[in-house]
Amino acid sequence: MGLVLLGVSVLTFFIAHVVPADPVLAALGEHAREDQIRSYRHAYGLDRPVGVQYLIYVHRLLAGDFGISIRTRRPVAEDLGEFLPATVELGGTAWLVALLLGIPAGILSAIYKDRIFDHLARIGSLIGASMPVFWLGLLLLGSFYYRLRWLPGPGRLDISAIPPPPRTGLLLIDSALAGDGAVFWSALRHLVLPGLTLGLFSTAVIARMTRSAMLEVLYQDYIRTARAKGLAGARVVLRHALRNAMIPTLTIVGISFGNLLSGAVLTETVFAWPGLGRYATTSAISLDFPAVMGVTIVAAVIYTTINLVIDLLYARLDPRVRYE
Amino acid sequence: MRIRIAAVVMLVGVLLAPQAPSRAATASDTLVYVNDISDMISLDPAVAYEFSGVLVAQNLYDTLVAFEGEDLTTLKPRLAQSWRIRDGGDVWQIVFQLRPGVKFSTGRPVTAKAVAFSFDRVIALNKSPAFLFKDIGGMKEGDTIAVGSDTVVVSLPKTSSPQAFLSVLTFTVGAIVDPDEAMAHQSGSDRGEAWLRNHSAGTGPYMLDRWDPESRAVLVANPNYWGPKPRLSRVIIQHVPESSTQKFMLESGDADIAADLTPEQVLDLASKPGVMSQDGKLLQLVYVGMNVKQPPLDNVKVREAVRWSIDYDGIIRSLLRGGARKVQTIVPEGLFGFNSSAPFQQDISKAKALLAEAGVGGGFTVEMLVPTGPAPGGPKWADIAAKIQSDLAKAGIKVEIKETVQAQLLGVYRAQKGQMVMILWGPDFPDPDGNATPFSDYAAHSIAWRNQYNDTAAATLAKQAALEPDLTKRRTLYKQLTDKVLHEGPYIVLYQPTKRFGLRQNVQGFVWNPMAYAEFRTVSK
Repeated sequence: MGLVLLGVSVLTFFIAHVVPADPVLAALGEHAREDQIRSYRHAYGLDRPVGVQYLIYVHRLLAGDFGISIRTRRPVAEDLGEFLPATVELGGTAWLVALLLGIPAGILSAIYKDRIFDHLARIGSLIGASMPVFWLGLLLLGSFYYRLRWLPGPGRLDISAIPPPPRTGLLLIDSALAGDGAVFWSALRHLVLPGLTLGLFSTAVIARMTRSAMLEVLYQDYIRTARAKGLAGARVVLRHALRNAMIPTLTIVGISFGNLLSGAVLTETVFAWPGLGRYATTSAISLDFPAVMGVTIVAAVIYTTINLVIDLLYARLDPRVRYE
Repeated sequence: MRIRIAAVVMLVGVLLAPQAPSRAATASDTLVYVNDISDMISLDPAVAYEFSGVLVAQNLYDTLVAFEGEDLTTLKPRLAQSWRIRDGGDVWQIVFQLRPGVKFSTGRPVTAKAVAFSFDRVIALNKSPAFLFKDIGGMKEGDTIAVGSDTVVVSLPKTSSPQAFLSVLTFTVGAIVDPDEAMAHQSGSDRGEAWLRNHSAGTGPYMLDRWDPESRAVLVANPNYWGPKPRLSRVIIQHVPESSTQKFMLESGDADIAADLTPEQVLDLASKPGVMSQDGKLLQLVYVGMNVKQPPLDNVKVREAVRWSIDYDGIIRSLLRGGARKVQTIVPEGLFGFNSSAPFQQDISKAKALLAEAGVGGGFTVEMLVPTGPAPGGPKWADIAAKIQSDLAKAGIKVEIKETVQAQLLGVYRAQKGQMVMILWGPDFPDPDGNATPFSDYAAHSIAWRNQYNDTAAATLAKQAALEPDLTKRRTLYKQLTDKVLHEGPYIVLYQPTKRFGLRQNVQGFVWNPMAYAEFRTVSK
């Protein structure tokens, strides 16, 4: 994992620095005077060679210091602390949507192969996988918020709601800790549409993978044996087939986290969600290297951790897999 | 099976059902203003220089003098009840008499010392807006002196224009901050900068209740406000980056004012119940700069030919949907000294004749740098560029469009390396000098310099006009300058955009100041 992070930091740092543009101009704007530009550049160490800048960066990073954002002029760690929880809450919901809808849909589709449910599920997942997140978000917002008024509009809370004192930054947890039922309910309702928007792509991918893995397993000899022993259909599917079919599905679940991160940018834009995706894009457009580095490193840590957990889960699911 | 089909049909039916008749509305004492506020980095008036930060800070703080509503030509008293400019020998002295009995939101009285503290603080912190005091005003720390508790004297060098400085003072940089409150929260030697980033200590009609970055800023009425109480006691500036989402919120009644709608979306509002649109003036100019050291653009006839090739009316009509004014001189409408002369409209035979006279009758190829994203007024920069490309092609000029992120484009432009660059300019302060000097004085290292336009006569006119105290003479000087640059200069001024808002029909009293902010105290619903 350390090696991965080192690779990520080197790559991002140097890619960010070969961009032929000046972050200071982006931060100070068109009207900035030469002396302001010079002193700003010096204050952020941007007047030193790139190699030296990198070493200084890594040295500080090891002490937990992500540097100061060129755009917001605050410590990047503070910015990340502010925006990461919103994305974690959104991503978590989306993932939950993907798992709760995708896996059952895949299983049912495999069991009822070539029947109407299977066709509908396959069409659904084709649409889900090919529909642009941005468009889907506007469609859901237009239908369930604007037309039907079943669900609230953009943002994490109702406009009149007062957020609970931040402890974790996760509104559901903070409002539960503060015992504020109204805010909890508001936060939960606000999660539905962006969670669906972000989760549907992964739902489709997971459903398709579960379906094909299940189909492969369902025709194996041991399933026929299980059925021949007279086991109930549900028990055969859930205990014998699903466990074996889960291994490829798990891989996709891990990879789909990457999709969630990239989808988060667009979902957060449509739903005015104050998250890391928006922060990453705005930072990238303003060539805010420290912020881009910070986001990339945090994303890499989360991504590798999740995939590590999934690797460990393989061993739990499949006794043949052993890690020495 | 039948049940499933019925369910699907019902779902689709519900989705396509006509709009529910009853709509929510925002609370009656609250204004909800939806806007993209991702540029907000600080609400400290000595630091804020971004659109959304200035919008908020203008409502939290007062300045000594102000322009009210859309009028940027008549200075009105604010915290200063009167002022006069006197000749102090080798300096100009501006003497301000403070309005008596004004208190900060903290309850402390406004004194002359607070004014000196606030002005010195801007210079000492030296953040983005500081150049307005240091370069335009020529001020140093200590140039603002408190005489007694209610008189302030600001000394400016004779090279600075007192009129231009007074218009600088209408902007947030001239806001008066409570010194005791700021210093009580000082960390290091920051004079309270870190604290004032997301707190307020001013005399404005509102105080800052909270600011959640990338989410919203909440303003509540200041109980100590010296003027008439604001009509609405709470203003929520809600961050909504996507314009379609803004429109949903406005039509649903969850927002009272939407600030970033596209021209098409504004047109669409006309057919919707309960909403309306309103235009706001802006002082920005969208223009193309031509580098006069890049042949054949060095030939004044070629530049004139380019200006005659463009279909300005078509750009405003079809791309901006009417959301702009045809302005072709370098001082925008709304400022003193505006010159309404707009002689150019597409005339290809005239353009071709001029090109032939210049010896490039066979046409030429030129590269045009264009920013990414939307231009002021709504359309994409790239779409305007494509229109210009097709217009110029008719005259035999081949334009190669190069779309570039703005930060990168500015790097090239500032290094004098652009051939043609399409970009915008908004004055830093509401005085014609905010445009005249950058556009015509090569030595100012601004726009004229970037286009290598070095015309001593133009630069001299700009300087004379800036310092001229007699308004009639000043107007004549600006007329001479703008006429000269219109034909000889390196610019194609394309249009002056209008900002278009979507409003709930019950919203009244919303006035957009062309310096790109609104005073919410006048809004009611």
